Amino acid sequence: MIFTLARKSLTARWGRNVFIALAIAFGVSFVSGSFVLADSVRATFDELFDDLTATLDLQVRAQLQGVNETDGAVRDPVPAPLLDVVAAVPGVSKVEGQFSRFAQIVDRDGDAIGGGGPPTFGFAWYDPPPDSVFQLDEGVAPVGPDQVVIDRPAADLTDYRVGDTIPIIVDTGLRDFTLVGIAGREDGQDVGGATTSFFDAAFAAEILSAEGVFDTLDVTIDDGADLDTVKQAVAAALPDNTEVLTGQEVGDETSDQLGTIINAFGTGLLIFALVTAFVSAFIINNVFGITIGQRLRELALLRSIGANAKQVRRLIVIEAMIVAVIATVGGVFGGLLVAQLIIWLFNQAGAGFPSVDMLLLPRTVIVSVIIGIGVVLMSVVLPARRASRIPPVAAMRPELGFEALTAGKRLVGGAVTTGIGVTMFLVGLFVRPGGTPGLALFGGVGALLTFVGITSLSTTVALPVSRAIGAPIEKIFGVPGKIARDNASRSPRRTARTASALMIGVALISAAAVFAYSLRDTFTSVLENSINADYIVTDQSFVGLPPAVAESLYSIPELSAVSPLRAIRGTVPGADGSPEGISIAAVDPVTIPDLVNLDVSEGDFGGLESGNGVMVYRETAADLRLGTGDSVDVTYQNGTEATLVVSGLFDDNSLDGDWYISLDEMSNVSDQAVRDQFILARVAEGVTPEQASAAVEAAVATFPQAQLQDNAEFRAEVSGQIDQFLALITILLSFAIALSFFGIAVTLALSVFERTREIGLLRAVGMSRRQLRRSIRWEAVIVAIFGVVVGAVVGLGMGIALSMAVPDTVISQITVPVPILIFVVIFAVIAAVLAAWYPARKASKMDVLQAIATE
Amino acid sequence: MKPLRERDRLPRMSSVLDAPAAPPVAAAEATDARKIYGSGDAQVAALAGVTFACEQGKFTAIMGPSGSGKSTLLHCLAGLDSLTSGSVQIDGVDLSRLNDKQLTELRRTKVGFVFQAFNLIPTLTAKENMQLPMMLGGDAVDEAWFDQVVATVGLKDRLKHRPSELSGGQQQRVAVARALASKPRIIFADEPTGNLDSNSGGEILSFMRSAVDELGQTIVMVTHDPYSAAYADRVVFLADGLVVAEIVDPTADQIIDQMKQIGHA
Repeated sequence: MIFTLARKSLTARWGRNVFIALAIAFGVSFVSGSFVLADSVRATFDELFDDLTATLDLQVRAQLQGVNETDGAVRDPVPAPLLDVVAAVPGVSKVEGQFSRFAQIVDRDGDAIGGGGPPTFGFAWYDPPPDSVFQLDEGVAPVGPDQVVIDRPAADLTDYRVGDTIPIIVDTGLRDFTLVGIAGREDGQDVGGATTSFFDAAFAAEILSAEGVFDTLDVTIDDGADLDTVKQAVAAALPDNTEVLTGQEVGDETSDQLGTIINAFGTGLLIFALVTAFVSAFIINNVFGITIGQRLRELALLRSIGANAKQVRRLIVIEAMIVAVIATVGGVFGGLLVAQLIIWLFNQAGAGFPSVDMLLLPRTVIVSVIIGIGVVLMSVVLPARRASRIPPVAAMRPELGFEALTAGKRLVGGAVTTGIGVTMFLVGLFVRPGGTPGLALFGGVGALLTFVGITSLSTTVALPVSRAIGAPIEKIFGVPGKIARDNASRSPRRTARTASALMIGVALISAAAVFAYSLRDTFTSVLENSINADYIVTDQSFVGLPPAVAESLYSIPELSAVSPLRAIRGTVPGADGSPEGISIAAVDPVTIPDLVNLDVSEGDFGGLESGNGVMVYRETAADLRLGTGDSVDVTYQNGTEATLVVSGLFDDNSLDGDWYISLDEMSNVSDQAVRDQFILARVAEGVTPEQASAAVEAAVATFPQAQLQDNAEFRAEVSGQIDQFLALITILLSFAIALSFFGIAVTLALSVFERTREIGLLRAVGMSRRQLRRSIRWEAVIVAIFGVVVGAVVGLGMGIALSMAVPDTVISQITVPVPILIFVVIFAVIAAVLAAWYPARKASKMDVLQAIATE
Repeated sequence: MKPLRERDRLPRMSSVLDAPAAPPVAAAEATDARKIYGSGDAQVAALAGVTFACEQGKFTAIMGPSGSGKSTLLHCLAGLDSLTSGSVQIDGVDLSRLNDKQLTELRRTKVGFVFQAFNLIPTLTAKENMQLPMMLGGDAVDEAWFDQVVATVGLKDRLKHRPSELSGGQQQRVAVARALASKPRIIFADEPTGNLDSNSGGEILSFMRSAVDELGQTIVMVTHDPYSAAYADRVVFLADGLVVAEIVDPTADQIIDQMKQIGHA
């Protein structure tokens, strides 16, 4: 019986149930989409690396000590003569010396492809084994110093064909090659948009400036030989600081490293997904509250003709569950679309996602179902209980409505929840109990509770605040404005709930904006203070600048000081004696004092000239109990040990970390290919800016991967990157924001339905359709501005707390981005007007007579 | 139920003396008004050709059994509903020629409404409700007139109250005041006392009567109550969509007799 009633009631309220279902499906699909995306990307990369290492038996490479590749450490190469040593090991059939270096293809228009985007590799070509997924698609293998094979993605991108002459930028500059072949994977996959050029193995070392070394030695063993036996034999033949791994181990390691990145990416997505789910929970909750409120008389009628409270409760819950199940199923599959959409958005923003097969794991389905159905259950159980307690005589009372379901103003509850939330948030940020997990848990749960608490509190302030926001609107727009203002403040709880959905999105955007802009301003002011250089040459290739760039800058007389900055990793004994990973920058000790101002407070960079000197950031030195003149034992990433003497202390570690050594020391301890992170240069006295820039531009002209910027341009670029970061966060929050405007539209549509009679009366006494539409539009605007105002206040607080929580070296000054806040308000007004479009249209199309006759 | 006060008055001398004068001007009139619902066999004629005029400055009541078409006639006269054929004029303007915008304008400026219930916007005060049509049009409120109307309906100390703070009778008085405040050509009242007790109902009807007598207002009222109808200058009886009878200066007894003839219970 109850089922029949539920079914009838669902079909009778078709339109409203579609809205509710959409709100649920939106929330669920974003959660499901985040999981789908992270799982799919991980699976795709796993497969990719499994395939790449499938035909690799063993790999010999340099060891990394105390650090790994995800820290940004680059392995030393292995010396070329080792190839013969390994080849002589019994059971080894073939050894290929591999290196992956920088080689960027220039397209027909003269532009280097890839730009600052995905990596551009240069490899030595060895004929792939027949069972390899990687094969020559077209043409022949490269022979001699002037031939090249490029991979399919590069060919597609540049439209080069076999036989063309193509320019490629290598470490020594631009060189022309003849394209003789195109190589590709059988499955047509590309790796994150990376492009690769292959050169004849006999000449590749010369072309790619890798003479005398290989990055790795790839070993094929004899047929029938035992892998482990050969591996042990190879290991026995290897010198110190080199290691041998099986292809399987190499593949697993790469997958693990990527897994870490993908997990971080997935976690980030999930946070935004949960925000979206949280926002949709607000909307679902609100919509159920309103619709049940509108049905109270009907429910009371059921009671009066003999239905018991349990039956009424069951009726509501069953109805909601039917909608929830359908919507959740839709949402789970909608997640596949959301995942595609996110990939598309990221690709539009310049990220090179590989084409990914969508993967829907059972875990994704389970989580989505829990969220979809759980949220509905939570939204519906309480109002259902209250509705079932309505006495049957209430059926006769016309004034019964949504407000009858509310339990007072919840001022105390709201204040307590907000208090706990804010406290947890601050504890998470500043105390960080248990490190990062504590930060995430306390910060996240604290923010969540704050939002819930603020929502309760805003019920109390909704009346005065919405009246205040509406005051100028009433003044300007007369009666429609007045009606809008009155209606917006009519049900403070409804207004507060509807606005709260928007409040969350706005709060997060404002917090991110405060954080990002504080970061930017701190960074640019640090740059202004700490960099005296006139020019900064940055690397766009991700592999570092070749030394030729710095050499050509050193050689021009218009510059008085030049220093490249290189990086190496290592460990030092920590305060408790256990090794602590550090990043060490190498600089030219002669010129660096002219180029940077790191607030050296003791000693000077001149101390580095002796070779074993090191400059240390004051706080780090204090932690490790180091003073000027003390010695410190460093183990570099390649295992080389050295004892360095502290030659001075500095107070500003914002440029390139806590440790500085000389370039000479670095080349003494490391055999890795010389790569510059960036290069600083200062114009000599008496040289005009025009002369200097002409000379410097000419010096780097043959290196398109080197981006030349003056100090101001560099700062502008950093600002641009911060803007991009903010844009990314905004994109991810846009689902939640869109959902909250959807919520405004639904709530308004329900209100319009509820006020049918009133609307009929207004029309009867002479309100025009236009005035009516306007009043509904302005009601939406008032609710939206309310959400934005509360959101901005909460978000500013959060953003300021966040900015204060990070160390001063990262953020030392707090910026409130007023233009962004103004933009958000303007955007909210426009979006609210759009959200009101359907309800306003519906109201203005109402037949006056029928509206008046409505019970 | 105790009988309603019947308005006890003599036939007015003026109507006798002025008999040969020019025919009275109609504030609203329907000519051969037809309103057909449905089609084919299911066709129902709510109005089957009604010709009817409401005289300027008079209080006209429309009566008839359920389904006689009295409410439909009122709605069509007021421009809230449209005819299938025939015409309705208010102040000489043919309503069928007006678009929605013009009809809205007409309702705001030339017509006043009093419904049976839910006459007021709950978020507005009594005063705001009364002035709503003028406010919607951006028209200046004639304060002197407004004060006079407020005094007539006796709501001076209730102006700042919201509808929920007023009794049912007071709410209807506000509705009547709203209808009067914009000085419309004609006021349409649809069972204005239907939801009220007899005392409050009597008050409302007295106000309407005095609005006609003292302010020269034209009022058309639909009712099924003979005692209410007796307040009118003229009662028009409808049955099956046609005007079947008319009584000028009626008494309740005359009305009851007429109703019996038509077959009203």
